[in-house]
Amino acid sequence: MRDPNNQVQVVKNLRIFVNNVVTSPNRPPTALSHAQSKILNEVVLSCQPQEGVVNNVVTAGDYDLNFSATTPWFETYRENFLQSMPASDHEFLNHYLACLLVVSSTEAVPVEQFLKLSQEQHRIQHSGEYTNPKWFIPNTLKYYVLLHDMSEGDEQRADAVYEDMKQRYGSQGCYLLKMNTRSFSAEGDEQIPDPWSQYLQRNILHTQVRTADTLGDVTHTVNSSAVENNISAAEVDNGVSGSLESHPLQLDITSSSGSLHTLGAVKTELKKGARDPESLAGGAGSHGACLTLNDHDHIRQFIQEFTFRGLLPHIEKNIRQLNDQVVHDSNLEMAVYTMNSKHSPELQIRKMADLCFLVQHYELAYSCYHTAKKDFLSDQAMLYAAGALEMAAVSAFLQAGAPRPYPAHYMDTAIQTYRDVCKNMVLAERCVLLNAEILKSQGKYSDAATLLIKMTSEDSDLRSALLLEQAAHCFINMRNPMVRKFAFHMILAGHRFSKAGQRRHALRCYCQAMQVYKERSWSLAEDHINFTIGRQSFTLRQPEKAVIAFRQILTNDSRQTATQQSAFLREYLYVYKVTTFTPDGLSLPQLPLPCIHCSATRVYFGHERRLAEGEKQAATHVSLDQEYDQDSADMWCHLEEQLVAAANRGIVPVNFQPTQCCLNSQTDNQRHPLAVVEEPIIVEVTFRNPLKVSLALSNLSLLWRFTADDAPPSKEKMTNELAITNEEILALGARLRLLPHRTGQLNVVGVVYNLAASSSGEMAANTEGNAHTFDVMVVHGKQDLMIQGPRLNQTKEDKMTVRHGHDQRLNFIVTSPMPLMEIFFLQFPTALLCGEIRKAYVEFCNVSSVALCGLRVVSTHPDFFSFGSQATTPLTPVSPTSAENNSAYKTLATPPQSGSAAFEMLVSAEDFSQPSGVIDIPIDGSTLQPGESTQLPLWLRGPDQEGVHEINFLFYYESTGKGNKISHRVLRHTVFICASRSLSVQASACRSCVPPHHSLGDKGGGGTLIFIDVENINMSEAGMREFHIVQVSSSSQHWRLHKCINPAKDKDCKLTSRERAKLCFRATRCKPQKATSDAIKKYTFTDLNLGNERIISSSTPCGDFFFRGCQTSESQRLDAPSSRTSCSSKSQSCVSTEDRSSDITNIVRKCNELDLNIIVIWKAYVVEDNKQLILEGQLHVALQTIGKEASSLTPREMVLLKFKSQLPPPVILPSAELSQLVKTSLHYPETYTHPFVQDSLCVVPVTLTLSNCSLAQVDVIIDLRHKGTSPETLEVHSSFTWVGQTQYKLQLKPQEVLCLTLQACFLQAGVYNLNTPRVFAKPAEQGAMCETSQQTASPSLIFINNA
Amino acid sequence: MAVCIAVIAKENYPLYIRSVPTQNELKFHYTVHTSLDVVEEKISAVGKSLGDQRELYLGLLYPTEDYKVYGYVTNSKVKFVIVVDSSNTSLRDNEIRSMFRKLHNSFTDVMCNPFHNPGDQIQSKAFDGIVSGMMVQTG
Repeated sequence: MRDPNNQVQVVKNLRIFVNNVVTSPNRPPTALSHAQSKILNEVVLSCQPQEGVVNNVVTAGDYDLNFSATTPWFETYRENFLQSMPASDHEFLNHYLACLLVVSSTEAVPVEQFLKLSQEQHRIQHSGEYTNPKWFIPNTLKYYVLLHDMSEGDEQRADAVYEDMKQRYGSQGCYLLKMNTRSFSAEGDEQIPDPWSQYLQRNILHTQVRTADTLGDVTHTVNSSAVENNISAAEVDNGVSGSLESHPLQLDITSSSGSLHTLGAVKTELKKGARDPESLAGGAGSHGACLTLNDHDHIRQFIQEFTFRGLLPHIEKNIRQLNDQVVHDSNLEMAVYTMNSKHSPELQIRKMADLCFLVQHYELAYSCYHTAKKDFLSDQAMLYAAGALEMAAVSAFLQAGAPRPYPAHYMDTAIQTYRDVCKNMVLAERCVLLNAEILKSQGKYSDAATLLIKMTSEDSDLRSALLLEQAAHCFINMRNPMVRKFAFHMILAGHRFSKAGQRRHALRCYCQAMQVYKERSWSLAEDHINFTIGRQSFTLRQPEKAVIAFRQILTNDSRQTATQQSAFLREYLYVYKVTTFTPDGLSLPQLPLPCIHCSATRVYFGHERRLAEGEKQAATHVSLDQEYDQDSADMWCHLEEQLVAAANRGIVPVNFQPTQCCLNSQTDNQRHPLAVVEEPIIVEVTFRNPLKVSLALSNLSLLWRFTADDAPPSKEKMTNELAITNEEILALGARLRLLPHRTGQLNVVGVVYNLAASSSGEMAANTEGNAHTFDVMVVHGKQDLMIQGPRLNQTKEDKMTVRHGHDQRLNFIVTSPMPLMEIFFLQFPTALLCGEIRKAYVEFCNVSSVALCGLRVVSTHPDFFSFGSQATTPLTPVSPTSAENNSAYKTLATPPQSGSAAFEMLVSAEDFSQPSGVIDIPIDGSTLQPGESTQLPLWLRGPDQEGVHEINFLFYYESTGKGNKISHRVLRHTVFICASRSLSVQASACRSCVPPHHSLGDKGGGGTLIFIDVENINMSEAGMREFHIVQVSSSSQHWRLHKCINPAKDKDCKLTSRERAKLCFRATRCKPQKATSDAIKKYTFTDLNLGNERIISSSTPCGDFFFRGCQTSESQRLDAPSSRTSCSSKSQSCVSTEDRSSDITNIVRKCNELDLNIIVIWKAYVVEDNKQLILEGQLHVALQTIGKEASSLTPREMVLLKFKSQLPPPVILPSAELSQLVKTSLHYPETYTHPFVQDSLCVVPVTLTLSNCSLAQVDVIIDLRHKGTSPETLEVHSSFTWVGQTQYKLQLKPQEVLCLTLQACFLQAGVYNLNTPRVFAKPAEQGAMCETSQQTASPSLIFINNA
Repeated sequence: MAVCIAVIAKENYPLYIRSVPTQNELKFHYTVHTSLDVVEEKISAVGKSLGDQRELYLGLLYPTEDYKVYGYVTNSKVKFVIVVDSSNTSLRDNEIRSMFRKLHNSFTDVMCNPFHNPGDQIQSKAFDGIVSGMMVQTG
């Protein structure tokens, strides 16, 4: 086409919009009508993202976002919105340009009808009655179309009419359209695409909600990508003739009655006739079925004809006219000028601009708009100015080659004017939509986003939602994508969508936003989004999604308040209940709450222990209530090793594994634990409630899988046969019990339970029986128990990656029956005095159906208890008092025989002690039959150390049958004994100097005095304790107590609090034993009773504990020096001297060795609860060497820190000890009367007895000469002299006693100390340096009287 | 005074968020989270031109209808965000600056605490006190 300057302008992609002429009352264009918004809503609702469409992934920073870049719902909305824009006065863009007058050829007088229609059109346009179909130009182009239905009408007649029309309107102004060449029936199977289908869908929507205000829109869409123009074409269509474009009519024509019916309606109805509902109802199927491809061509041809012949020339003409007018007007310089809107020059310019715009003459359009804008602005016609601004901007943008930058501020002004001055939101919105698209196409996303956000308002949720979503997309499309803004605006959009009732869109928005917030510890926001997603999903019947979302809220470490959480929980439970209602309980869904701390799961094998049964106190064994302690586990394992070694002749089998009754995260769980048939397995599951509100769990049970040994592993079958009872105990962790009835493999896979939200109120209601309200919120589900083993850290691979070992805690192997023993203790004390002996009973019960044997026990404190030994139990009758007092000791009534009467008994140590710490328990027949029980006495001795002692027993037993998977079983028992102080016994020994003739017929050298200090150190004030020393016994291989020196006869030794008693005994060497060389060491027990009852110390309780005590103290002693020697031997220089001296020291040690064990047996009278009790006990003192004091209380060793590098002190000869090699004593008359008058020299015979204490030969030198240097020698007058041989050199055989007769010579009467002989002794064959002067005894005084 | 004060870790997760209790906490979370985009934008813009000599105070991040959001980034990329009521016109840029400086000092003290594990949520009475002093006193 040509522009006013005769320049050729190319028009591309011209689109013509044909609409029905609808006269409707005008309505305010400032807001969309209700119906319109409803349409828009529907449109958006129906346009949902397709499933499975590949979304594009945007990576921004560390965010990977997955969303659809296209938003078809928005595009549809935009299109529909623009289409539904009403025509307005200030612009001409959707005003009608031309009018098609269509008449059917079946009409009686078509020409007349044309005339009528023409008049009608004229009336509508010019009468002023109708405001709505707005017309572009006063003389609207009329184009006359004769519609001929080939299937019905007479073709020749139509041609004739057409000829007539050509005459009347000119060949350029009319057209004969032939169509429907195909008969309706013939359409059968030929598949011709429905030409209307793509239009219909949309328009049916329109018609359905039609009020009087649709259609007749001019749409101008500016699309950034493709510049298309829809030129508005006007069409008059009076119902019947509307058949071309208004499709419902199409049906009418094809249907037999349709055309007649509509024809009848011509005159009266302009539009409504076409809209009869029946046609609508039938219209859903197919349209245009009678059109052949030829007909399509005809139609196309017709449109082309219309455009080129009619429309374009018309426009061209008008533009030229307007241009002339405008030029003319401006020439007149607007002298006369009224703001008569229709004819004001500005409006003419605007009209021209619009026309130019429509035919894509943007340059001209822009300049016109620009001019118009200025004029409108100067006239303060804001609405008009805004319109011109808007279009100027669009034209500028559309102008190819873009000679000028896009005037964004035009748009801004326009929007602002529309919104603020004109209050016309619809126009503002249109402007925003256009501007946003333009900005986006220019990459100005930030501006676009701001623009879009500004346009959101309270009045339309749908619009706000869509615009916000677009804004969000703008943010993500920026060069530096603003991910968080995207997310936030998505949330806002989602919110508005949900308010607008667009749930699907809302959900989609929230889901997209979730990607940004997910797992980035913005928990509050995350929870909110999850909650919304949950709700929306649920209402959209996507409960699975809802469940997942709610689950997220609950499982995340929630920072919500308790009330919020309980609301979330309730919602979740409700949704969950609705979703997962499945009648069969097999495929139970997973519950998220409460958290199961899988690795804290503990497993216990065996029955729940009864702690006590009447007086009986059961063995503590192991229980789930105990905390796991590595040290104690090691201790038990060590004990068990000892037991197993004892049971297997001293060798621990290679495949030994300690029995684990209770498995937890710290135990070794690599092997499948062994469970026993008919013995329960208790699984403790630890739950953690992450919420601040409480949860109620009920009907908790374990989920397990079982594979039988002998049967093929068919799961279902086994479940029926097996009755496994599940019990629940809810505590900190829930304990669930399994009782296997068959052997095989049993795996625990999970827990099943009911979950409910519990508030205190609900709980109360529940207990009252109001279970209905409670029931609603209870859901049933399961959770798996998957235990991950400990992290491996052995190989390099383990260290480089995270690897976990297997944990077989819950995969049991159920084995054949094993014996099961229970142990009860009777009269077992909790508090004892140190050394107190108490008798208790222990009962062994075989509670299984299998016989057991091999009963053994080992303990951490073997000296604490004894089962007694049969071998030494004397058959002598016990005294009545012993039975009365329930005494632990066996006593014999014996009058006290102080003095020489000591009872002796020779006992072999082997009768009492056992090689290792393991003690065989002497039960009858050594087996316990099923159901049998046996009771044994058990003696206990209070530990020597005061304080609380933890004493552990481990009992061992095995099945009588062989070939079990479990070789043995153990039972643990732990007792706590509180020991309080009783007596402290200190003993020392020294050589007696009593001359041999005093000791009755004994060999003189053997006498040793034993001093025993006994002190009552009991601190208890309440009990008023009085201790009686009942008996002192000794036990030794070499020595024995011989005689009691102090206390004297009949004197009972009582000790009240803090009292101390001194006892003195004489001990002698035993008669040499013949069988000393034998392996069997025989101990001589001697009893010296102070009361009138004798306790046989060599028999059961006393002897047992004596030997037990020996063993432990020996083992302690062995431990100590080993460490000492190890460090000393490091210094090589000392070795030689040590070697040399070792001989001597040996000899010396032998000489001083005593090795006498004293047993002090006491009775304590205690008042407790107004009852007098007699307690008994014994204390041991081991006297090792003469002269050294020993105590019953082993002092707590203070280990001094020493530097190991310190050289050991050089070996000094133990002169002090060497000085005791030989014992000397002088025998002489105490008083000697000599008549000095007669004989001035008094010679007194003195016998010097030398006894060799050592077991070696000793050289002895006796020197009688006075020492010259001694100060005493000065007093010559008071001295005496030895006469005769004054120096002797003798050799004494081991233990030899030698008497030397000496003569002392006195010069005058007086008192003399005879003890002057110096005796030097050295072991034979040793160097002279070893000669040591022997200890001198106390002064030996002699009275010399003058007769 | 401020209605919300937040400390955001380098990795953009919250270390500390406190807002006035009368208002919707969630809203502030969203606001602060969204402001991080602007913070990042500002950092990347400044970082190129000036290198290390970056001004820690970022100024007004963006205004909303009700609030003004200010930002501050430490050299270790820890972000402080202060949200101020828009109606509060008495607050000048300098005051905001000094608030941030105080906050930064207190934050440094928290980090110097040998018992604090960097990256953990801030749980410090002293810091709480400083923040409370800067918050709007309600009631």
